[in-house]
Amino acid sequence: MGLIFVRTTIIFITLFIVMRLMGKRQIGEMQPYELVITLIISELACIPMSDNSLPLLYGVIAILTVYLLHQIVCLIDLKWKGAKTILSGTPSIVLNKKGIDDTQLKKNNLDVSDLIASLRIEGYFALDGIEYALYESEGTFSALPKQDYEKLQTSLPIVIVTDGKFDKKNLKITGKDAGYFWTALQGQGCDELKKVLVATVDGDGKVYFQQKGDSYKIFHLDWKERLW
Amino acid sequence: MIRTLISILITLLIIIGATVAELWYVNKVFDEFSARLQVLMDKSFAKTATADDGDAVREFWENKKNTLYVWLPHTILHEIDFQLSEAIGNLYVKDYDSAISKIEVVLCLSEDIPQSYAFGLENIF
Repeated sequence: MGLIFVRTTIIFITLFIVMRLMGKRQIGEMQPYELVITLIISELACIPMSDNSLPLLYGVIAILTVYLLHQIVCLIDLKWKGAKTILSGTPSIVLNKKGIDDTQLKKNNLDVSDLIASLRIEGYFALDGIEYALYESEGTFSALPKQDYEKLQTSLPIVIVTDGKFDKKNLKITGKDAGYFWTALQGQGCDELKKVLVATVDGDGKVYFQQKGDSYKIFHLDWKERLW
Repeated sequence: MIRTLISILITLLIIIGATVAELWYVNKVFDEFSARLQVLMDKSFAKTATADDGDAVREFWENKKNTLYVWLPHTILHEIDFQLSEAIGNLYVKDYDSAISKIEVVLCLSEDIPQSYAFGLENIF
């Protein structure tokens, strides 16, 4: 029984380290140690169920060990604040008053399109309407909108440039070509497309534009009517 | 908090209790079994072992086996069943040479099994 206890503990720790190294994306809404427990317990329960030649105690002791480890981790998480960073990670501010923080995105294995998609799921479409956006430790996004968010979001923003490349599919939706938008971006001081982190345009012609390492800018295209 | 601590303590006691019980019982049974097998082996060497001697060892094994099923994989215990049956079968026909070789196999198994489940680095990895 002692061997099962030690082997289960080793597997638990290994899985936990791997989950933490893999980052938040893989774990959805669970903390890393919770996912490890979920993965292990289902396997441990199955083994003695399906193999009659194994003593049932093997599965029982292994499951009790996982429960014990879970309780210990919860206790450490609760009582020692320093452990929380190690066990669960910390939230990252991926969007602030200056715009998108590309460094934080990369640290969490994310790109701009992941951020924009996740903010849309939360109900936020206009990037300039967000004061702060955070990537939580369990892999979800949360956002603090600006007070006048409703006024800033008037139409659906479409991504036209992300990470230095035009999005051809979205360009078709706008009905304009890459040259048109490139001229507009050059007018805002952009000399190289590779430096553009993100550029979005909404149906009223409002462009959200941010270069890498720079704050975001808002400018308006001369559209006589709302295109979508 | 108190409930968590109590549950940790109780779980730890169960795990430690089961570990100690397993180690003690398995070692005790296999020590006794090895001693009986050694007596049978000595008698086989002296060509004085009888079928009744073999049956006595088997009876001991059968009595202990049911409790061992709780602690050890059944396949390992079945292996001892097969080898012991062959050894005793050889005693029935007074084929002492074959009986000795089979008893040696069972002796080896009864020494190896407790070591395989003992607490040690080689078993953890």
